[in-house]
Amino acid sequence: MKRLRFFSVPYLAWMLIFIAVPTLILIMLAFSDYSLYYPSRFEITWVNFQIFSQSYMSKAIIYSFGLSIITTLICFVIGYPVAYYLANLPEKTRKIWLALLIVPLWANMLLRIFAWEKIFTPLSIFTDLSGLSLDLLGTNTGIVIGMVGMYLPFMIFPLFSVLERMDYSLVEAAKDLGATDLNVFFKVIFPMSLGGIVSGVIMTMLPAMTSFVLPARIGLGRINLIGNIIESKFMKEVMGSGGLSINVGSLISLMLMLFSVISFVIITRFDKEGETLI
Amino acid sequence: MGKKLIELKNISKSFGDLVVLDHFNFYINENEFITLLGPSGCGKTTCLRLIGGFETPDDGEIIFDGKVINDLEPNQREINTCFQKYALFPHLNVFDNIAFGLKLKKLPKTEIVDRVHQTLKLVKLDGFQDRHISTLSGGQQQRVAIARAIVNRPKVLLLDEPLGALDLKLRQEMQYELKEMQRTLGITFVYVTHDQEEALTMSDTIVIMNEGKILQIGTPEDIYNEPKSRFVANFIGESNIFEGIMIEDYLVKFVDREFKCVDKGFHLNEAVDVVIRPEDFDFVPPSKAKIKGIVDSLTFKGVHYEINVMVDGREYTIHTTKYREVGDRVGLSVEPESIHVMRRQRS
Repeated sequence: MKRLRFFSVPYLAWMLIFIAVPTLILIMLAFSDYSLYYPSRFEITWVNFQIFSQSYMSKAIIYSFGLSIITTLICFVIGYPVAYYLANLPEKTRKIWLALLIVPLWANMLLRIFAWEKIFTPLSIFTDLSGLSLDLLGTNTGIVIGMVGMYLPFMIFPLFSVLERMDYSLVEAAKDLGATDLNVFFKVIFPMSLGGIVSGVIMTMLPAMTSFVLPARIGLGRINLIGNIIESKFMKEVMGSGGLSINVGSLISLMLMLFSVISFVIITRFDKEGETLI
Repeated sequence: MGKKLIELKNISKSFGDLVVLDHFNFYINENEFITLLGPSGCGKTTCLRLIGGFETPDDGEIIFDGKVINDLEPNQREINTCFQKYALFPHLNVFDNIAFGLKLKKLPKTEIVDRVHQTLKLVKLDGFQDRHISTLSGGQQQRVAIARAIVNRPKVLLLDEPLGALDLKLRQEMQYELKEMQRTLGITFVYVTHDQEEALTMSDTIVIMNEGKILQIGTPEDIYNEPKSRFVANFIGESNIFEGIMIEDYLVKFVDREFKCVDKGFHLNEAVDVVIRPEDFDFVPPSKAKIKGIVDSLTFKGVHYEINVMVDGREYTIHTTKYREVGDRVGLSVEPESIHVMRRQRS
């Protein structure tokens, strides 16, 4: 087995170069005034934190949290019954449903976003087919519908995997001890699927919170999330009109990264075997 | 032994084409320890699940305390179950597992605490109330499962091979403890097992099943000493089974020899099966014996030897405390009351 270790070197090196090193660079940029155009200047400073006092930034944070929380709630309400239903299906039918859930995920995310975009315009193929005219571009509703469509499977999978593994005899045991169907759900099924719920919530909320193509396209740039701010900060630098915008972008990126790490820790706390992580 | 508590009348149950229970009839008395005994797949667990309410019969009636309960949900029956794989709630600790049923009944908190502690004492798990289920051994989990059921003071406790996963020593201990509990609590136990020894030691009544049918119901002594069929004789303990002919009352012929016996009421020359338990053979000098043979093998079994004797090309199994060398010529005798004659099974 020692020889196998050798073959892990390329990717480990890749992770070091393209994940660890850039993270260090982000940290360095976020807490300094170092600029590509004045490489001689380097001073550790909190000046980049001023971004959080800007109203457009706080608005983006509020929108990111707000929309992602609403999206997650909707995904949970829709996803839990679906996951429960799937987990109790006979093997064969279940596979068909799972395929219907997974296969669309393999389609490119951008394509799916563009598809939503088309559907949300007043005159679309959707209008031709259904007679309904949607005008949801640039609205919160549009973004939430898009996000739910995009991230619902990430809610369903972890829930499905805990519910599927749940021992049905526990339900019988609860009934035997006098539990009604409602009792069974709230005292056995729900608490036992807690690990899946935590994973599902985080795996839906995090990408929703950090998404930027979807709000950019469907929100028409009118609704900016944290991701869009980061993009604009880095794009400014690329355009050469930087100031410290790349430093600010780094700081916001680090903030999102921190969320991710905290989420990861929470998931591993609730789900020690990692059975809900895919 | 009191009145009939549960009665199964003409119960049939199939899963698809598979008939699991076929016109099943028996009753359970109050405070009785009754065991459903049979090989795997004989329908004993299904029978238990019907009583518990986890399955509904296709046909027939389940009567509990004089009322038909076919359509009652498990949570509406005064019956609790101790499941085969315990089915303890992994997200709750020992206390909350045991208190589960009491909390659902919304009993006052102090009463719940009292009853759980009493029950913990009963199953010898004092001080385990805060332990997590996953930290318990198999035997401890098993006792939590029993505690969780009996804390509700059900009229009937159903036990589905509860000792199957335990090692021999623990199993014997638990057999004793279960029997003790049943006596002190005065709860009717319906016990399912495929282990004949377990059934014989614990039960007041044994129901022997095979392929969805009842073959014999009786006390352990009855079933051991007077098996009604070849299957029962074979299933309960080791047996020497011979094909024979009932020549007249009290006289049976098998292995080409005639023996006195205590059975009567057969037709003249009726074909019968004859059962002789291994411990009922006795060694006598060959000159005085009707059956003579040569010791073929000998195994030490602790309390006794298991000796196989070849007689006319047929092996007889004998349990005895007397030692014989392999190759010894021996004579075998058997008392008339140890010869059990059964009607031949038409199959």
